Amino acid sequence: MISINMSLVYTIINLVVLFLLLRHFLFTPVMNIMEQRRKLIEDGLKHAQDAQDDANRMKQEYEKALSGAKQESVQMIEDARRNAKAEYDRIVGQAGDEAGSIIESARETVRIERDKTMQELQSQIADLAVASAARIIGRKTEDQGNQDLYDQFLKEAGESHGDADK
Amino acid sequence: MEELNCETVFTLPVLGDISESVVVTWIIMAVLVILSIIFVRNLRVENPGKVQLALEAAIGWAQDFFEGIIGKENRRYVPYLITVLLYLAAANTLAPLFGFKPPTKDLNVTAALAIMSMFVIEYSGIHKNGVKHWVKHFAEPVPVVAPITVLEIVIRPLSLCMRLFGNMLAGFVVLELLKFFVPLIVPIPVSFYFDIFDGLLQAYVFVFLTALFMTEEME
Repeated sequence: MISINMSLVYTIINLVVLFLLLRHFLFTPVMNIMEQRRKLIEDGLKHAQDAQDDANRMKQEYEKALSGAKQESVQMIEDARRNAKAEYDRIVGQAGDEAGSIIESARETVRIERDKTMQELQSQIADLAVASAARIIGRKTEDQGNQDLYDQFLKEAGESHGDADK
Repeated sequence: MEELNCETVFTLPVLGDISESVVVTWIIMAVLVILSIIFVRNLRVENPGKVQLALEAAIGWAQDFFEGIIGKENRRYVPYLITVLLYLAAANTLAPLFGFKPPTKDLNVTAALAIMSMFVIEYSGIHKNGVKHWVKHFAEPVPVVAPITVLEIVIRPLSLCMRLFGNMLAGFVVLELLKFFVPLIVPIPVSFYFDIFDGLLQAYVFVFLTALFMTEEME
């Protein structure tokens, strides 16, 4: 019943053969598949992680760019406003200056015109006076009435001359 | 009484007598290999079928179990341990259920398994830590224990061999006696206990202890 014989050797050979066969037909393919699936899942997870990281980074970049653009636009508006203000001030100042000079020159012109007119008037008055005097001298003392007329004229002329001077 | 003997099934010209246990082992081998070929066909990485999922779950369970004992870095021994587990499970349960004598009832088979376990245990230790460490570890706590630790090389597989043989033989004998005295109904639950429960338990214990001894040796 209990005896050690050649069956022991055969069993060892059988087991080794069984191990090799099972390794070839069972363990290698199944473990390969499991390993592949594990790798697939790992790759997928890693991919997803990478994609998420990428998306986050891009989002940050966009946000940065957006806030930069906002700041830039504010800056641009500020610049434009400042420029416009300066231009406005410049134009208004220039216009004021010009208006002042125009008024000044107009006043000057008016003064010169008036002086010229006054001179002309004076000379005309003088001519008139000379002519009147010549006529009066030509007639000599025809009557006293004429004498009165002459006096009155001179007086009037003198007054008007004096008023203009004042 | 003739039930207890391992009869010679046939005699080959060169190899000599081929006993019953060897023939049953061949049958078990053929069944296991054919089943693996059938199940492993059409494996897919994506969308695995139900059969594939069950197969992967079984293999994955066994893998996790052995890796938990011997460590992830020694996973190269896992296929061998699973092979022994499959063979013992088939031999202890399927063989008696289908009317064969369990090959593990033959001392030659359990001795062969134990001898292989012994080689694997010692090889794993030498492979992991080198020959020098392997020689030194016999005198590990104190040199006085060296004879005992050397004896352990033989004692461990011997205990594996005898435990399996004794359990299977005892179960077989009890069942045969019971069948002789009460041939009706009563043997059914007893057969379930001795053939299925005890058979699977002994298969589990055998590989579990082998893995445990390997871990011990690889420390």
